[in-house]
Amino acid sequence: MPAGKIANRHKALFIATGAVVLVVIGATAGVVLLLSGAFSTAATKQHFRITYRILEQGLKYSVASNADDIVVPDLDRVADIDVGHACYREHCLQCHGAPGVAREPLGRGQLPSPSSLAESARDWPAAHLFYVTQQGVRMSGMPAWEYRISEQGLWATVAFLKAMPRMTADEYKRFASSNTHAQCPRPTTAGEYSTERAQIMLRQYACDNCHIIAGMVGPITHIGPSLVDWRERKYIAGVLPNTRENLVRWIVDPQGVSPHTLMPDLEVIEPHAEQMARYLMAAGE
Amino acid sequence: MVMLAGCAGDGESLPRVSGGDAERGRVVLDRYQCGVCHVIPGVPSAFGKVGPALDQYAQRPYLAGKFPNEPETLVRWILDAPSMAPQTAMPAIAMSHQDARDAAAYLYTSD
Amino acid sequence: MESRAASSAIDPAANSGAELIDQLGTVLYIGGAAIFVVVMILAIYGVYGKGRAISARRWLIGGGLVFPAVTLTALMIYSLAVGNGLAAIGTSNALQLFLDCFGLGSTENTRAVPDGVLRIHVIGKQWWWEVRYEQPGSAERIVLANEIRLPTNQAVELVLSSSDVIHSFWAPSLAGKVDMIPGRTTRLRLQTSQEGTFRAMCAEYCGGQHALMALYVVTEDPNEFNTWLTRQSQPITAPTDSFLKLGQDAFFKGGCQSCHTIRGTPANGTVGPDLTHVGSRKSLAAGALDNHIGTTAGWIAGPQEVKPGNKMPEASVYTGTELRALSAWLGSLQ
Repeated sequence: MPAGKIANRHKALFIATGAVVLVVIGATAGVVLLLSGAFSTAATKQHFRITYRILEQGLKYSVASNADDIVVPDLDRVADIDVGHACYREHCLQCHGAPGVAREPLGRGQLPSPSSLAESARDWPAAHLFYVTQQGVRMSGMPAWEYRISEQGLWATVAFLKAMPRMTADEYKRFASSNTHAQCPRPTTAGEYSTERAQIMLRQYACDNCHIIAGMVGPITHIGPSLVDWRERKYIAGVLPNTRENLVRWIVDPQGVSPHTLMPDLEVIEPHAEQMARYLMAAGE
Repeated sequence: MVMLAGCAGDGESLPRVSGGDAERGRVVLDRYQCGVCHVIPGVPSAFGKVGPALDQYAQRPYLAGKFPNEPETLVRWILDAPSMAPQTAMPAIAMSHQDARDAAAYLYTSD
Repeated sequence: MESRAASSAIDPAANSGAELIDQLGTVLYIGGAAIFVVVMILAIYGVYGKGRAISARRWLIGGGLVFPAVTLTALMIYSLAVGNGLAAIGTSNALQLFLDCFGLGSTENTRAVPDGVLRIHVIGKQWWWEVRYEQPGSAERIVLANEIRLPTNQAVELVLSSSDVIHSFWAPSLAGKVDMIPGRTTRLRLQTSQEGTFRAMCAEYCGGQHALMALYVVTEDPNEFNTWLTRQSQPITAPTDSFLKLGQDAFFKGGCQSCHTIRGTPANGTVGPDLTHVGSRKSLAAGALDNHIGTTAGWIAGPQEVKPGNKMPEASVYTGTELRALSAWLGSLQ
């Protein structure tokens, strides 16, 4: 056989072996890093610059891609800035601050730090602002507000965000003190049922923090009873027969059903409770 | 004898019922047919769905959704649940105090 | 708890039909064992023993014809006598009945059952037992379910039938099995001198819950028995305790009266067991559960978990308190 052909075959084998070894070394290094706890999760220690850039840019790319199909209404016509400010004051001020107003301690120790919105509210398209407010940002302190502020309220908030960077500290103060009657609107309907949306709701109300729920990725927790195969259970909280109506009643008002229960009142609106109850009763069928 | 369930976490000890014998407790749970309402691992014919399943009982921070899950509380609950939670479906079970301790001891060992 | 109740054919109650059967069994076991040993000895001797001329004919006729004829005839008479003894419990004309087997009895109807025998009608249903006691001097029967009590030292005749499929009544410690056939009546006579609790079960596959169709037969002193029967014949009195009253109301709220009878209340359903004195029984759900407030609650709230496919529907209508109250009230119906 010609010498060249033998050499090529050896070369290919050498490269392949080298690749496998590298992968193995990399995986082992990753496992060692994970198990040793060497990777810091403290909010006090800053990222490597490259990590920070990747995360920051990654957020922008992801938001841009996912917010593409959001149709922005005519904010001047449909969005009430007073309502938007009411929402901002109730839900956003604590972490993001406002012109001349410091964020509360809650917003001061976080990594990533909640942005002071003067720049991003000015620069980001309205659709992107809406998306981030509605869907939140995972692995950060930014919650999703989809199930706690109505869609109209979210657009009003976006309209306020667009107006806020143009306010001086005094203008903001005057605006805030005169805006005493507007309320941040909660959702009143739930939209069409789907298992995906029901799961989002269950997570948004933090149900999976105390209960194991079928189909959801979350902590293995024993604080509350497992809700897997809930359909088969006969009683809710040992007090009410397990029917869909009673389950809704329980979710909406646990203390009213069983005083002193450790299940808190999460201010669940009834349309959400109905979809979550439907999911829990159906899961496993 | 408390068998540590696999995921006890950072080695914190599981609840112990002083004076309770887990092996006798399993017999107690069978004798009083607690399984009519509860799924209990290791107890024959225990597949009821009226009350919650009692598996991994030691890992639960709370008892009956109202009380911290502690041995003495569990013993009291087994003997007279309605006195602690007037609306509960679980009736007071006429068993001796020792039987209740044994049953509680078994529950804390069940996987 | 009641799971220790005797239910063994080789541990029969004293002076019961099961004792006669057990004695017959013992004779067969011992006799059979003895014959087996003898035959084995002969076989081994035949193979290994020193050869010796024997009279083949003597052995063939003696061992193969005479011996079996004698023993089997004796056994036949004995077993017929046992059968007759079982059928004749409580009659005074046992000998006549026996001779009847051989056509030697009188032509009169010697099988007429004399008065004085306690007669109990047991109707098999999927998967429980309806029990009706006849009362002397009255056409009305005392209705209960899933439990039979008997006085000791008195002959009792069970009149057996079925309203759906073939069942079979078997109290191993008391007597043999008798089928309960829809459209027919069969009879089983019981008597024993021993007080105790015996477990009886269905002995003919009758559907999914056949294995959980059982009941307790309690034999007791005649005075205690009469007290019990009198109480069973009486309707219940209305509860005075407010918790028990809540339970009684819950019974009707849940619609239980459409299947169950409780004399003393408007409930007169016949699909399910009579519950007038359910609190006095040793078991619930036809021997499937012990009888206390916990099992009562568990049965009411989840009957399909205990006996899947049985005819009692799940009632998702009681709050926790109502369930306990209802269970307590039913337990109070002694």
